[in-house]
Amino acid sequence: MTSPGSSELRGNPYFWYRLMGRDEEGYDVYELFIGPQHPASGHMRIIVRLDGDIIVDAEPDIGYVHRTMEKLAEGREYLKNIPLFERATIIDAANITWGYVRAVEQLLGLEAPPRAEYLRTLLAEINRIASHLYGFGIAGIMLNHSTMFMWAFGDREVWVQLAEDLTGARLTHSYIIPGGVRRNLPQDFKEKALKAIRYMEKRLQDYERIFVKNPVIIARYVDVGVIKAEEAKRLGIVGPNLRAAGVRYDARIAEEYGAYPELDFEIPTREEGDAMARLLVRIEEIKQSMSMIKQILDKIPDGPIFHEKYYRMLPPKLKEFVEQTGRLKLPGAFIRLKPEPGEAVARVEMGHGEVFYHIVSDGGIKPYRVRIVTPAFRNVVLYRYLTRGARFMDLPAIYGSIDYFPPEGDR
Amino acid sequence: MAEDVYKPGNLLVSLKRHAAAIATGLRYLLSTKRMTVRYPEFVIDLGEGYRGMIRWHRDRCISCSLCAQICPAAAMKMYKLPGEKKMYPGINYQRCIFCGFCVDVCPVFALEHTPVHDISYEELDEMIYVPTKFDTEWVSPAAKEGARPVKVVFDEEVGLRHEPQ
Repeated sequence: MTSPGSSELRGNPYFWYRLMGRDEEGYDVYELFIGPQHPASGHMRIIVRLDGDIIVDAEPDIGYVHRTMEKLAEGREYLKNIPLFERATIIDAANITWGYVRAVEQLLGLEAPPRAEYLRTLLAEINRIASHLYGFGIAGIMLNHSTMFMWAFGDREVWVQLAEDLTGARLTHSYIIPGGVRRNLPQDFKEKALKAIRYMEKRLQDYERIFVKNPVIIARYVDVGVIKAEEAKRLGIVGPNLRAAGVRYDARIAEEYGAYPELDFEIPTREEGDAMARLLVRIEEIKQSMSMIKQILDKIPDGPIFHEKYYRMLPPKLKEFVEQTGRLKLPGAFIRLKPEPGEAVARVEMGHGEVFYHIVSDGGIKPYRVRIVTPAFRNVVLYRYLTRGARFMDLPAIYGSIDYFPPEGDR
Repeated sequence: MAEDVYKPGNLLVSLKRHAAAIATGLRYLLSTKRMTVRYPEFVIDLGEGYRGMIRWHRDRCISCSLCAQICPAAAMKMYKLPGEKKMYPGINYQRCIFCGFCVDVCPVFALEHTPVHDISYEELDEMIYVPTKFDTEWVSPAAKEGARPVKVVFDEEVGLRHEPQ
């Protein structure tokens, strides 16, 4: 091979084309690397090819935060994988572990008691609001709207605090375990949650005035990054990005898990499929989640929070402690859960979309194989299809509106 | 909400919306509602349920080693102390992820969460707690310096309020 500076290459017109930023046919295409040093929301790179100001092609280059989670899971006992998978989407920890726990429960033949299912749903919805607010803030800062960033992250703190009151940890809750949940509802939780909801309802009106209906944002978001329903279905897009294109699909109604069949909620959809539609769908989902939290707190049944099979193993002194404090104690046998050989699949709707788990068990104490398909990984293809033909200025707008979370996509 | 963002606007509508956005921003700029805690002077009292630094009680421990077995991060380890037959747990805070499984699995309440979370270290080795060091009370450095504890209160107007106790 000849080195790039050799004289044979210099005689080749393509060498000069490339040096001038033209492609092999002589077109003036400029290649721009955005990232991987944190272009906006995390560690990824977008390789953008520009013809003047128009994006010819954008290629998402992911994998910078790949942590071999699927392989790591094969070396750990079933329970120990819960804190591991949380770290895929740390902002939505309850939802991403719920999928795993549902698959493990199928293998173990367990079913959580109704109160535990309600508590899981409660934390999942709190996490969904926090996750949407996070995406909201990132979308704001990508349009240089720092106020929106500060507000969304500040208001997310309210929901994080609510989750902390319930679970004892701000983000890595490790709350949902096979057979139930780890803590009961605190005494004054309902009052706090209702205050948080009333606060958020007021704030959403302010968001509307300062961000959503702001003429600057309308100019940046309306008719930008349009995807139609057919195309979204073909590409396998999930979550709010799919629903903003007019497809009414949500794992919460498709799968009917947790307390969702007993709750009254809508799946917000829009027809436009542009960046503004994706934003509006997320805002509507925050409202639906708040309505669900209200319903859960009204409807939540009494009863145990942990499966009888394992709760029975606790000595009377520990049972007394659990009843008094509402904090669960685990039996020693829980460390090495041993499901029957077989396979299980489960899916759960996260804030970003649908997460899918496939677990293969060989009858041992560790899973033989765990496959995770995260919503961010399914949505990353949008970078390529939404940006073609757009102006370069629209790239941050499109990037923000997809709500892509790199650690989740890379696993 | 916001159905009319898709309608073609005119100059008047645009001006009105700009004014609304600026007015909303100004309202918050001039208000005194703040969520921030000025940390070294004030410290949040996290209360009972918080999963903070872990306290081990040597007198209660029965050396069952369940805590070391359940630890997902391999932070908890059993140590043999000189002149003792039994093994006791020690913790490495370089690895601990505060999942609290060890506390939940302990059958004799020898492990407990404390609300203390603001410990800092100068050396990595200081983060390894052998059993003799593990059996001590946690003290928040901010609280020791005389920080005033505040309580988190949910508020409809501000979101979170921090009330001095």
